[in-house]
Amino acid sequence: MAKKNKSRQKKFDTRIDFTPMVDMNMLLITFFMLCTTMLKSQTLDLVLPTNEKVDKEEETKIKESDAITFILDGNVTTDKNGQQTSTDSKIYFYEGQPDMENFTLNDIKFGKEKDAIRDMLQKRNKELLVEINKLKAQWKKGEINDSIYNARVIVAREKQAADINAKRPIIIIKPTANACYADVVRMLDEMQINEISTYQIESLNKQDSTLYEHKVGHALGAK
Amino acid sequence: MGKVKIKKQSTIIDMTAMSDVTVLLLTFFMLTSTFLQKEPVTVITPPSVSEAKVPDEKLVQVLVAPNGKVYLNMTGAKDSTQLSTETFRKEVLLDVYGDRKPGLTQKQVKEFCNLGTFGMPLNKISEWLNLPMEKRDEALKEEGGIPIKMSVKTTTEDGQSAAGQPNEFQIWLKAIRQVMHNHGLDDDLRGGHLVAIKAEQNCPYSLVQVVMDNLQTEKLNKFTLMTSLKQEAEE
Repeated sequence: MAKKNKSRQKKFDTRIDFTPMVDMNMLLITFFMLCTTMLKSQTLDLVLPTNEKVDKEEETKIKESDAITFILDGNVTTDKNGQQTSTDSKIYFYEGQPDMENFTLNDIKFGKEKDAIRDMLQKRNKELLVEINKLKAQWKKGEINDSIYNARVIVAREKQAADINAKRPIIIIKPTANACYADVVRMLDEMQINEISTYQIESLNKQDSTLYEHKVGHALGAK
Repeated sequence: MGKVKIKKQSTIIDMTAMSDVTVLLLTFFMLTSTFLQKEPVTVITPPSVSEAKVPDEKLVQVLVAPNGKVYLNMTGAKDSTQLSTETFRKEVLLDVYGDRKPGLTQKQVKEFCNLGTFGMPLNKISEWLNLPMEKRDEALKEEGGIPIKMSVKTTTEDGQSAAGQPNEFQIWLKAIRQVMHNHGLDDDLRGGHLVAIKAEQNCPYSLVQVVMDNLQTEKLNKFTLMTSLKQEAEE
């Protein structure tokens, strides 16, 4: 009996069909692919001055001729859901002190064309940019490696910062309440691209408002 | 006449190799994935050439909706010996809530620790935490937003201007500072990477400015703006 039984034992196929397994895996992969964020957001560092009282002596004095003030403006519309959007971005600028006699306020645009912001800032910061571009060219050719390149760029920047006579633009960004947020970020970007180390964001003061009123034809915030 | 013999070929394909590949892929995606954070509003951040990445720990994210509402999200340290996200949230909440009425139950506090982005006026938090999951997001959108309006400066008789009562956003910031300080994370507090502002690219600057003003009032002068990557063409 026992012998008979043994001989009857069937040989099982050890192969398993993997198709359902693959199906399931594919589904899971699809799920993970759709749910993940591969791209992480970037950040832009920003340092604002303290709003505490600073002694007059401690205030940093800047050369008038180096200062350029940009006024960013736009047009805000509010839709029925209360969503606010800023359109028609406009940029005005003046150099040095505000001209309270003729109320000059010039137009300028973003971009790389002649007389646009990039061009203007590049001209202003030529000395440093030329030096950095030289280093960049060397680095691209492989003459210097990453660490040397970075170190030299830092040296060049510090040299400019330490030299009192160096031509170094100081940018003051003054966005109005209606300015587009993206424009402010774009302006900060221009600072990075053009290697400008001294810039700050401020709100418009009385003189700026007067200039603005003369330029646009209505007071700040009025429409 | 011999018939042409056609070999009978098996139609079964061995799926083992395929399965191996898919499992590998699956493992890759599982390990690298960070899930999309649920946020009450989706915002598109402005493009920038900046390449610095958002830190994934010790971060306070301020979300500014295009309608001016402000939400917060807090992340603790990854290192388990330091301040964890849960403790961070719990302590901040308890600090902010103080002994307001109605008091928060243990369960409500626990709920709060596991949430993502939040933003409710303090008098509504308790009520909001009692809502079922599905309704919470809606409530955030409808009546949410941390009150952020700058309080009017009061001028005392001797001509010194004093900041008015802190608004709720400032109370939250104060609590965050306090908790970070208690855990010996002062360096992170001052490092300038603690607070990140996330705002829609087309929103008017005034919405962001309010947040910045509040941060300045709380002496958090260094912070970051969240941006998306823009490739700058070489000259």
